[in-house]
Amino acid sequence: MAIPIATAALSASVYAPGDQMLLTVTYSDADTKPLTVTIVVTDAQGNSSAPVKVTAVIDPLTVTVSDDSGRTWTRVSDNGARAEYRAVA
Amino acid sequence: MMPRVTVQVRDSAGHSATAVADYALSQPVLGGYYLSGGADPTADMAGGNFRSLTQYRSFADGYIFPGYNRPWLINLGKAGVQMNMVLELKHYGAANTGPQSFRVDVTDYTVPAPSMTIQQRPGTTWPKAYGYGQVLKGQCDGLLHRALAQYRLLGFGVNIQLASELDTDHEFGTTEDGKAYTWAESDARAVQAMNYILVWFKARTLPPGTTFSIGSGGFDRACFQRTHPESLMSRLDFLQWNAYGTSASHTALSRFRRTKDWAVADLGPVALSRPVIIAEWGVRSAEIPNQPGWIASVPAAIAQLNAERGPRIVRTNYFNSGWGTLSPKAAGLAALRTAYATRPYV
Repeated sequence: MAIPIATAALSASVYAPGDQMLLTVTYSDADTKPLTVTIVVTDAQGNSSAPVKVTAVIDPLTVTVSDDSGRTWTRVSDNGARAEYRAVA
Repeated sequence: MMPRVTVQVRDSAGHSATAVADYALSQPVLGGYYLSGGADPTADMAGGNFRSLTQYRSFADGYIFPGYNRPWLINLGKAGVQMNMVLELKHYGAANTGPQSFRVDVTDYTVPAPSMTIQQRPGTTWPKAYGYGQVLKGQCDGLLHRALAQYRLLGFGVNIQLASELDTDHEFGTTEDGKAYTWAESDARAVQAMNYILVWFKARTLPPGTTFSIGSGGFDRACFQRTHPESLMSRLDFLQWNAYGTSASHTALSRFRRTKDWAVADLGPVALSRPVIIAEWGVRSAEIPNQPGWIASVPAAIAQLNAERGPRIVRTNYFNSGWGTLSPKAAGLAALRTAYATRPYV
């Protein structure tokens, strides 16, 4: 099993009170692979269904964000490699 | 302690990676003021979120801190209003422009008459100033000592801004002891003199909270760069420039932005690490009759500039005099109060 990697970047280094703060997290893991399983059901007479595709992720990653000032960070997007979070300064 | 965001990424087997990002929260920008003639601004500021004040004094004046007949300055300072004290080598010309003899503590000084002229606009009377050469020869040490002795009795720390606008002072050259200096030569001589004064003050005990800056109108890019070398900036706590709307096409954002953009492009990392005091800002009612409307656009302009990279603007003092004269005063002052009750001033 591989060790994940993560980076965290804020939209600014200094915020005025009330400013919108944006956190961008990029993350990956060598084991984390999306894959697609295609299923075809065939009966005894040899009739086959249309193929059905399902996707799965091997060893998915979970991202948690905490802030020692107690600010709440809300996830606004996440595509499996890059997630964005928002908070108010 | 800076707040820190911690990000943890974990897989199903419990392997994890951690990344952190630190950030800082700025204080609100201080909304400030100046009232024409250095008059008592207490009544205008009362009840509004005015937290900063600009004042002008000449080193030639025997009463710099708090100033002649200005007990209100002590009251405002003790109430927490941040003072930007502009101390000028310029002689205001009201009284005797000859040599001065005086005693500070136990030291007797004789300071010669000011030997330089500045603001040499054709067709005007050129003001006198103590010369940069005089400063470097130590001839003005008594003036510095006199100011320091008074400052120590003031009861609070201030920002000392040396010169009001070096670009305005030098725009048409200077003359000292009959020798003419170009604008650029004057800038170079001023940097040396400012450095001398900074070293002089910093070698002595100063009230807690003392900070320093040098003065610029900020209207000339080359001058701004020449007068802000890193060696001088290392002795200064703030950048400073002034911002005026004097044409119908001038937006608040464009006027506050101009000098900042030059600074970001031209100055070094030490200079850019310093926050900015806008010692004067104003809007001229002749060209921009809707003075309150222009004032109302300032908070958003400052917030936008502070959200961009580069030095942050931390104080903005409205100049209710000259170009900035509030006319009619009541409407202008009401707009100023509303602006200073708006982010980023709160």
